[in-house]
Amino acid sequence: MRKTEPQRGILHGQLWTAEEQQDTIYTQLSFNMEEDEFIGEKTFQHYCAEFIKHSQQIGDSWEWRPSKEAFELPSDDCEVIETAAASKVIKYEYHVLYSCSYQVPVLYFRASFLDGRPLTLKDIWEGVHECYKTRLLQGPWDTITQQEHPILGQPFFVLHPCKTNEFMAPVLKNSRKINKNVNYITSWLSIVGPVVGLNLPLSYAKATSQAE
Amino acid sequence: MTDDKDVLRDVWFGRIPTCFTLYQDEITEREAEPYYLLLPRVSYLTLVTDKVKKHFQKVMRQEDISEIWFEYEGTPLKWHYPIGLLFDLLASSSALPWNITVHFKSFPEKDLLHCPSKDAIEAHFMSCMKEADALKHKSQVINEMQKKDHKQLWMGLQNDRFDQFWAINRKLMEYPAEENGFRYIPFRIYQTTTERPFIQKLFRPVAADGQLHTLGDLLKEVCPSAVDPEDRVSLCRSGWSAVVRSWLTATSTSEFK
Repeated sequence: MRKTEPQRGILHGQLWTAEEQQDTIYTQLSFNMEEDEFIGEKTFQHYCAEFIKHSQQIGDSWEWRPSKEAFELPSDDCEVIETAAASKVIKYEYHVLYSCSYQVPVLYFRASFLDGRPLTLKDIWEGVHECYKTRLLQGPWDTITQQEHPILGQPFFVLHPCKTNEFMAPVLKNSRKINKNVNYITSWLSIVGPVVGLNLPLSYAKATSQAE
Repeated sequence: MTDDKDVLRDVWFGRIPTCFTLYQDEITEREAEPYYLLLPRVSYLTLVTDKVKKHFQKVMRQEDISEIWFEYEGTPLKWHYPIGLLFDLLASSSALPWNITVHFKSFPEKDLLHCPSKDAIEAHFMSCMKEADALKHKSQVINEMQKKDHKQLWMGLQNDRFDQFWAINRKLMEYPAEENGFRYIPFRIYQTTTERPFIQKLFRPVAADGQLHTLGDLLKEVCPSAVDPEDRVSLCRSGWSAVVRSWLTATSTSEFK
């Protein structure tokens, strides 16, 4: 079977939040993250709001969905890039959720061919670049698995969040050292996204450092 | 924990008498008899139904068999939910045995996770255990365990070995003497009446004034409709305790005082 580079339709991203968490120990918005690399839910929401602002500026298709709204994916909402072999066009859908258990964001995604046929874990895995595969294969809990979306209740693929703080810590530590503005969501997504085909335009990072 | 041993054993050894019937549209070479089994509440469908699969595959041709899945009254059953949870949520008001329909075709991709192997069940189970410990101990206890301890948890569940499981699980149920409990209580509340699959939030075992929280306090805070006397409490009551318990058991938490 010939391996093909999946073409991509429009990314339809949603940033979800669970309901307001009053009991969290992170009661203030804190950009100066003295403590470790975890973020409270309000902080998560703040960074998402900043992220969405830039997304709207550049016409990227991220949306914010408070979970209280019933969710329906409009069927005509996605443009499709026409290619010669329509069967190879794959539509990806990315959702960013906040995990209150791990106090980090989590990336959920699913993909389907144009005819609606969902991609299997095997298909997804074949689309992952070699350089990421080794790292993912090291820990069975760090890899891509199929899970139930905690808000939609449907099968999605997930990058397990339990090691998030490990790779975010140096990023945040360094930015504190050089006194640079960092949007946690932008940094985090720029690390985990490419593993599963999501590449953030550089302008997101530029927007953050310009916002003082 | 020792006074709770009886309760722990009762929860672990809970069983649901179940009757498996092959879906009528499946193609068989001869009549398929229903298959009866006592299902462990704390386990998972795809972990305990090898005999069911073998029984029905005996009367089918290889080419008519693909991934097995289960359904109750038209609802595909999520294998990654504990069996007791599925029963309490969907069938607790019906007469026993629990009647489950077995399918080998037309896997419902939009509703069910695939279960390609026992490893997938193990990965899911351990992921739940890990998340529970993230809430209880910031993952410190489970991360300090050796691989063989993790394996023992899984083997205990797989082989229905209470003592084997709890030899390791008891460590996940401890907390330092100076604390009054876990950091947060791992729980999930499932209701058939809601859009989202479950309610899960951060909840501390001790209030600001030092009082220990009760299960009632938790419900009042995260699921007030369950305790509102004006509401149709029967919706939630018919199994909320077992529903909450299923998750608690599977992910090992303390009893509520």
